[in-house]
Order: sequence, then C-alpha cells, then structure tokens
Amino acid sequence: MLSLTNVTKLYGSVIGVNDVTVELGAGAHGLLGPNGAGKTTLLGLVTGQLRPTMGRVRVFGARPFANARVLRRIGFCPAADLTERRATPRDWVGYLVRLSGFRGREATDRADRALDRVGLGEAVDRPLSTLSKGMRQRAKLAGAMAHDPDLLVLDEPFDGLDPVARHDLVGLVRRWAVSTDAAAEGPRTLLVASHLLHEVEALHAGLAVILGGRLVASGTAAEIRDMVEAMPSEIRVRCDAPRRLAGLVCGTAGAESVRFEGDDVLVVATRQPRLLAERVADVAVEERLQVWEVLAGDRSLEGIFGRLVRLHRGVGA
Amino acid sequence: MNVPQADRFDASPWAAAVGSVLAVAMFQIRRLLSWQRLLLAGLGVVFPAAVMMAVRRTARTGLDDDLAVLMLYALVPEAVCMLGLLVTMCPAVADELERGTWVHVAVRPGGRRALLLGTYLAAVAWTGAVALLAAFLALAIMQVPQPLHLAGIFAGLVALSTLGRAALFSLPAVIMPKRALVASVAAALVVEYLAGFLPAVVNQATVSLRLRSLLVAWMQWRQRLPPEMQMLVDPQPPWVQIAAVAVLSVVLVTVAAVILEFRQFPPSDEI
Repeated sequence: MLSLTNVTKLYGSVIGVNDVTVELGAGAHGLLGPNGAGKTTLLGLVTGQLRPTMGRVRVFGARPFANARVLRRIGFCPAADLTERRATPRDWVGYLVRLSGFRGREATDRADRALDRVGLGEAVDRPLSTLSKGMRQRAKLAGAMAHDPDLLVLDEPFDGLDPVARHDLVGLVRRWAVSTDAAAEGPRTLLVASHLLHEVEALHAGLAVILGGRLVASGTAAEIRDMVEAMPSEIRVRCDAPRRLAGLVCGTAGAESVRFEGDDVLVVATRQPRLLAERVADVAVEERLQVWEVLAGDRSLEGIFGRLVRLHRGVGA
Repeated sequence: MNVPQADRFDASPWAAAVGSVLAVAMFQIRRLLSWQRLLLAGLGVVFPAAVMMAVRRTARTGLDDDLAVLMLYALVPEAVCMLGLLVTMCPAVADELERGTWVHVAVRPGGRRALLLGTYLAAVAWTGAVALLAAFLALAIMQVPQPLHLAGIFAGLVALSTLGRAALFSLPAVIMPKRALVASVAAALVVEYLAGFLPAVVNQATVSLRLRSLLVAWMQWRQRLPPEMQMLVDPQPPWVQIAAVAVLSVVLVTVAAVILEFRQFPPSDEI
C-alpha cells in the first residue's frame, strides 16, 4: 500500500527525513514523534507534496508526486489551522470535493454527508471564522474524508479538540480505518501523525517512532513499550551521602552504572527500577542515610524518545 | 496494491479537470466579493472617468477626441488592468500559502494546475469586468463621437490586456510567490514598458506592442502617425495581434502551470 525505501529529504542543508525505510499495509498506523521530528515532511512525501531528495516513495505501487491517479485515492488533513475566514464548512468541503473530481449534486451530497459524519451538521452554513478551533478541525477532517479515499493521512488531527470531541473523532477515525472500502475491494489505510502517544494508542494503530528525521522504532504499542522497558532506566536519588549510597547499591538490584550530579545526587541505571528503589529505601534505613528525594526515570514521551534514540545509536542508558 | 485502471469517478479526466478549474474560479470570485475588494473595484471603475472629467474641465480649448481616446487607453487597458491583475493574479500561490489552504489544494488530483488556471480565470473575469465598466463609464462621460464603436474597441483591448497581463503575472506568482507583487511590477516595467517600446525584435513578445498596434489599427490612426511613432506599432493586421496575444498567454500560463506542478513548499514548522 505504502512504502518508503531509503528516503531522505533535504531542504538545502537542513535534513527533513533521513534514510527512512518503512512499509505499511492496510489498517491503522501511527507516526509518533516530537515537534520538528520530521513527521510533516514524511507525510508530505507520502501525500505527493514533496519529492524525496534520495530514495523511493511508492503509494499504491506508484510515485505520488504529481500523480493524479494516486492523489485521488488519498485524503489528507494537515496540521495547520484553516485561516479561510469567510467560507462556510459546506463551501470549503464542497470545494475540496469538486477538486477531487466530483461535480454538481454528487459533490454537494458528499460534502454534506462528510460534515454530518464529523458532527458539524448544525454548523455547515456558519463562516469558518466564527467556529471554534475544534470545529474547524472537524471541517478539515470532513474535507479529507469526503471523497472517500483509500488512504487517509492525518497530521495532528485531534489538536485543539476538547476531550469529548477528541473521543468522538478518535472513534470516527477508528471506525473508518476498520471499514472495508468497496471500491478498492479491501480494507483502508490510516496514517496518523501525532506527538501524543495516547492519541495514537487510542486508534489501536501500529507505531512508527520518528526523531531527528530518522525512524527509530516501529511495531505495535506493546512491542515498543517492551523495547523501552528492556532498556536501562535511571533512578535519581538526592541524599546526604551519594558516594556511600553508590557503594552500597552497586552490584545489587540490577544496578548497571552510577554517576554523580553535584554533591548530593546519585543517578543509577538499572533494568529493575522498582527493586532498586526498594533497595535504596532499605539501605537508607539500615545505614541511617538522609534521603530527600527518589525520582524514577523519565517516563514521558520525550523520555521514551530519548531512550529510543540512545538504543538506535547503540548507546546504553 | 497497484493503482487500478478503473476507479469510482464518473467524470472523464478532461471533464474533471475543467470542473476543478471552474471550482477554483468560483471559489476565488467568492473570496473577491468582500467589501474591501468591492470598494477597490469601485475605485477602479470611477478613477478613469474622474481623471477624464478633470482633464476635460481644465483643458482651455477642449480636449481633442483622439487625445481623449489615447488617455483612456492609458488609463483603462493599461493602468486599471495592470493594477487589477496585480491584486488578483499575483497572490495566486502566496495567498494559499498564507491562508494554509495550499496543502489542501496540492494534494488533490490536478489541484495545482486547477489552482493556477482557476485563479487566472477569476482574475481575468474580475479585472476585465472592472476595466470594462471603467471604460464604459468614462466613454459615457466623455461625450465622444461614436461611443458604441469606441466601447467595442475598448472591450477588445481590455479582454486582450487582461488575458495577456494575467498570463505574464502568473510566472512571478509561481516562481517567487512571496515576492510576486514586486516581481510583477518589475516584469511590467521591464517587459511591457521597456522592452515593449524598444523598436527591436524583443518587443514582438510583449502585450503592450500588440495592444498599441490594435488601437492604432482600429482607430485608423496609422496614416496619421508621425514617422518616428510608426516604429512603436506593428504594421500587421489585427488578427495577427490578437493571435499573438493568445499564443503568448497560452505559452506563459502553460510554463507557469508546469513550474507550479513541480514546485515544493517545505512545511515551515519543520525547517
């Protein structure tokens, strides 16, 4: 359905994506990465907005750039907000449907159905400038889905939505992804880029993690979590005698390395963080050490990205 | 999975392409129907008539009819058309990039082409309508002999001016969208008003030479032109001038469409 082989995209001397190879079949896929990681560039390559500097991009077996036959099977919802002020959602989605090759009544009906599906049925004739960001986001989504594409590509689609709207649209997109496309005689493909892990997880999507333009991991959410779990985690202990504490915990509870930050912080890398934390507590009681703070390793997405990068580069914790 | 030969779209590729171009043109005209743009258009309509009235009133011995026509030519097919196209055709791509709508259009089949051609149509229709109204209003006020004949001449000149100049401005619009206005003014000055007045082969590729030649031919001024002015017009018949503007327009718009088809606009937040 969609394959990138050794794809690199340069903007002058700036690297957009770097030597990415990935193959995605039908179903839901999440592209996860922090802002500036190269997600939008990757989506630009897939949706035929950009040409790779090196490597090969194929969508439905063909090059997507300037290829009308491929583009008419792609729906794309970009991250940027719509600043078209005076048009109504009906005008806007109708316009996009007409640009996809539909005309007359068929175009109007498709636009109305798509707007209804995203829950904008009541606001179709209000100018976009009077709608909330979440409603404009729905209008963008309707524009991407109205021509019934086989591949739906969404860039930060749930940005700016309130929790209820987010829940609704996640459900809508998930249902779209598992529904069968009668025209293509097969399931559809959904590619969602986000910097929020829980958004992608909610879509039950396979994951590809991108950072610094490089694909650093791919698999299911569980596989990526296992990969992360298997990496050494850092425990940060602030106490009155970090060097003495290091001597007492080294070689126990899976401690793999230690380092010191200033006079009162010990950082221990371990694959068994819970066991190590218990060991620190026991030692502190037994040796009457003053422990002021014990912090587990960074479990945020940024932390996970950082660890995946270190794994990707073959560096330990 | 390869791209299937048959798909769900009823329309033939040509019909779909024409439909897309018309969709863009309609959308652009709806955008132009704001009070700011209508006010600007109103000024464009009134301005030549106001100038002609002012000149007629200040001229001590009355304004010669030929001179009045020449002035109206400078004001409408030249000034009004140029200014109108600068605000409608030049931002063809820049406006889309600024509004965040470029990406929506660029991912549609033939969307880039449709955007350029649709904007071209809208710019020609809008500017042409403003310029025609301006010419008709000025002619009505000027009280020249044979106003209907002159109205026909100016309708032809306005049509050719908008078609040719919009095509000329389509190039800067796609080559340097963010500097399109400056580049278009430069192109107008260098191509139309410098090269266009050079008595050399280079002026054959300008719209201004063709329009001047048509004005001279249709007003039957050729025999009365002083010898030094003969070099500034093309002696060939009007159909050659019309065909030249048509060919020039098609070539310029085609080149612009090809350039736009292969242009890439990097997502700014990634750089």
